[in-house]
Amino acid sequence: MIKQLHKPTLFLLMIFMFVAMSAQQRFPKPEFESGYEQPDTTTPEPRAAALEFFDVLVLLGVLSLATFLVIKRRSRRGILWLSIFTLIYFGFYRNGCICPVGSVQNVTLALFDPAYKISITVLLFFLLPLVFALFYGRTFCAAACPLGAIQDLVIIKPVAVSSWVRKTISFIPHVYLGLAVLFAATKTDFIICRYDPFVGIFRMDAPYTMIVLGGAFLLLGMFFARPYCRGFCPYGVLLSWMSRFSRKHMTITPSECISCKLCEDSCPFDAIEVPPTEKVRTGSTVRKFLRQYTLFGILVPVWIVLGGWAVSKSHVFLSKAHPDVYLSELLIKHPELKADEENLDIQAFLESGKSMDQLVEEASLIRMKFKKGGWFLGGYLGLVLGIMIMNQFILRKHDDYVPHKGDCFSCGRCMNYCPVDKKY
Amino acid sequence: MNQEEKLKLAKQSMQISGIFSLVVAALLLINFAQLKKYEPLESETLKALVEQLEDDPRNEQLKEEIRHFDLMVRKAYFTSERQVKTGAFLLLFGVIIFAASLKIFTDIKHKIGMPDPDSEVFLKARRNAWQWLFVTGVVLFGLAFTAAIFTTNYLETYLPGELATIDEPTGNDEIRIIEIRDNTTDIAVVEEESVDTEGGEGESESESVRPAVEKAPETIYGEADFRKHHNTFRGPMGLGVSYHKNIPTSWDGSAGTNVLWKVALSKPGYNSPVIWGDRLFLAGGDQQARIVSCYDRHSGQLLWEKQVDNIPASPTKMPDVTDDTGLSAPTMAVDGYRVFAIFATGDVIAFDLDGNRVWVRNLGVPQNHYGHSSSLMVWNNKLIIQYDTGRGGRMMALNTTSGETEWDVKRDNRISWASPILIETDGKVQVVTNTDPNVAGHDVETGEELWKVAVMMGEVGPSCAYSDGLVYANNEYASLVAINPEPGAEVQWENYDYLSEAASPVAKDGLLYLATSYGVFVCYDTKTGEQIWEEDFGATLYSSPMLVDGKIYIMDNSGVMHIMKADRSGTIINEPALGEHSYAIPAFAQGRIYIRGENSLYCIGK
Repeated sequence: MIKQLHKPTLFLLMIFMFVAMSAQQRFPKPEFESGYEQPDTTTPEPRAAALEFFDVLVLLGVLSLATFLVIKRRSRRGILWLSIFTLIYFGFYRNGCICPVGSVQNVTLALFDPAYKISITVLLFFLLPLVFALFYGRTFCAAACPLGAIQDLVIIKPVAVSSWVRKTISFIPHVYLGLAVLFAATKTDFIICRYDPFVGIFRMDAPYTMIVLGGAFLLLGMFFARPYCRGFCPYGVLLSWMSRFSRKHMTITPSECISCKLCEDSCPFDAIEVPPTEKVRTGSTVRKFLRQYTLFGILVPVWIVLGGWAVSKSHVFLSKAHPDVYLSELLIKHPELKADEENLDIQAFLESGKSMDQLVEEASLIRMKFKKGGWFLGGYLGLVLGIMIMNQFILRKHDDYVPHKGDCFSCGRCMNYCPVDKKY
Repeated sequence: MNQEEKLKLAKQSMQISGIFSLVVAALLLINFAQLKKYEPLESETLKALVEQLEDDPRNEQLKEEIRHFDLMVRKAYFTSERQVKTGAFLLLFGVIIFAASLKIFTDIKHKIGMPDPDSEVFLKARRNAWQWLFVTGVVLFGLAFTAAIFTTNYLETYLPGELATIDEPTGNDEIRIIEIRDNTTDIAVVEEESVDTEGGEGESESESVRPAVEKAPETIYGEADFRKHHNTFRGPMGLGVSYHKNIPTSWDGSAGTNVLWKVALSKPGYNSPVIWGDRLFLAGGDQQARIVSCYDRHSGQLLWEKQVDNIPASPTKMPDVTDDTGLSAPTMAVDGYRVFAIFATGDVIAFDLDGNRVWVRNLGVPQNHYGHSSSLMVWNNKLIIQYDTGRGGRMMALNTTSGETEWDVKRDNRISWASPILIETDGKVQVVTNTDPNVAGHDVETGEELWKVAVMMGEVGPSCAYSDGLVYANNEYASLVAINPEPGAEVQWENYDYLSEAASPVAKDGLLYLATSYGVFVCYDTKTGEQIWEEDFGATLYSSPMLVDGKIYIMDNSGVMHIMKADRSGTIINEPALGEHSYAIPAFAQGRIYIRGENSLYCIGK
């Protein structure tokens, strides 16, 4: 079934990619006057509030259906078709916006800037997948995320990677999340949206580099399944946290695991936890792990302080991403650029009536925010690192093949490999 | 078809489609690179043709050629683009076949793997994981620390008020950056340069900073001193009157009769020569460079020629100007110690008389659809600049020794191409300007507006004239007016018969002379405004008349100087020809006339 679906979906995907790429080859307007009047630039109207709520309803419906298909029906086919619907609706129809992944930044900004009002629909987009993950695992990733769906459809020959590679890669989303929160809190940028690799494909119009980035992710995704989800998605960090507490997470077997090991390499995301062998569970190994666990547990505060200090020290570097800081430093270094009429940022500043002293003062305040935020970001990253290292010395007692609640996308592929019949 | 056959077919299909895709992708890349390289509007040939057209805007054949070439490159572009699209579809097709084949191949080959019972693998993976995480943490925080070390905090180096010039009113024609050297009256820091006596064109010159040297206080030269020279546009005070005698009335530029010397000019410009002592100064400029040149007015030897470059905030791209104005239309000014020049870029520069750069400023690129043309004026250590642009009216005075702003006045008038003149009334010197709509007088010391009369309109080109207590202003399609230049100023008389477009009027001894662009030269009575005589030269008159030695000298655009008696008779004395086009105003000094032709500088004398 999967084979049958891959061809048309892949074809559709490539078509969209192609159209998006070719759309970049724009032609400059002719210099000669021909009497043709250029149409005025128009700004699209914002989406009507009713339709925004309709989107929330669609999300809720998709999440509910995905959860039902994963938990109750255990239907991989259903998940697949639902993810295609998501790709079409939230991806190509809604152009990848709004999406819960990016809503992290809206929520952050709303928390740090009282003047910024977040709409209830954005908040629901942020919260609903987390609530579902808290109870049922990452069913959002399974079928309700357009970014996940587009990557899921191009998985052709997933290559298993060593667990240490996966563990190391899984740290990157924390860095991305931390930076996204810091940048949103300081009103610097919405980097998740800016560097969304697939939004250009959804909109069939984006800078060439963005299309190449999206294409590269999809090509990589043919062999390293869902590279963005596993290596970058900042929202996935939150979902992973929630999902770890889920009581009704998807299971590989509908009944009791017979440890037939057929499912062991069925997961393209290497998210199945293999039970430790008896040899691993020996007393000496356990004691060694306990010692190291304690040692690295003690080191966690060191990581936090080290991370906080180092990232805070880099606040000068990080804050350069803020437009005001960048502009003020640019003008300090090159005051002659005031005459550069093509530099729209400078011209906009000059038109604003703001003085250079004001600009520098504001930039300095922003830089101080980065310094403070750097402590939190570095501390958070140090904490995550410390805990991730500690986790390497935990031996979970289980004899069954179970999905890793944090890493599992609830796609349901493993279910098809289980020979155990469901008990009714 | 059994599994083996399917596997074989998938494998072959995969290989063929893979190679096919790679080849198409390579061709696409090459094609795409070509497409990028040959963007139509980036065509050097097209650019060259367009540049030619700028020089010769009425060349219909050239226009047609450009259209034809433009069409060709666009066709080529679209053909190449179609090839890219076709290639992209082929690549898409190849990739789909490859992906489908790969999927079938891997599915057929797929076997359920056997779990690895080796506990060592598990333990090793855990060990590697924590070690790599550890390394990742160290590297990440190490990078953060490295970034902290190697990043300069420019905000900390900023001192409040340090870049106050950036805060000055926005707009292209506003002052942007100042680079002023240490410049008190008695301490001058100047840059020493080797004086170029060879007259090399566009040579780069080495510059070094000379230690501060104490100088004696400068004598401030006044009108009596200026009368001995020809230091500004239209002579002393800009009034169009020269006080030299024995000026020749006959010459033949082509034959060389009475031409004492003639030198070729290295850069074009519509500015007129100015003279101080033995030195004559000219400015020029084109897209490549702006220059100031100094000649020995006796021999015609080029004493020095300096490029006007390395000016902070000066635009890298030259402003759009029309060919009949150019980048160097304003005439320079000399105060006896320094020579000053302004260009359409908004660059103002001061050299000492030996060609050493004293100070530079950029006033911001003036918004001017023809090009900035208001000439400079000097008075009492002040360089007067009329800076009326598309963004509004403005007058300013810069300190001649330092370039610092002495005063800066915004005015409620529109853009103007006229130049300021200086007049003295009741012991006070005024700067008088002609703009749309105001003819106005400002206190030269403070910039304070003393009077104005809203009487003018249109694109004002002619400057004012002054005589017998009245200011005379006119503009084409407006009127000729006489105004009493004092608080409560009013129009004393007005006349609509003949009006000038570019040439400025001149008045003396009860007579006012005015040159229309269509060739009629008119004389009015300054008291009544009544016309006394008119003479149709049948040639375009853009240059302004100069009154010297009891005669009127007015050059037409073809290069013929019309010399008339400066009286009520309207007698033509002579009409000598230069032999080339000329638009500038002649300068006079000690029995000689200095005329800027289109391509050469002439010294006429006996």
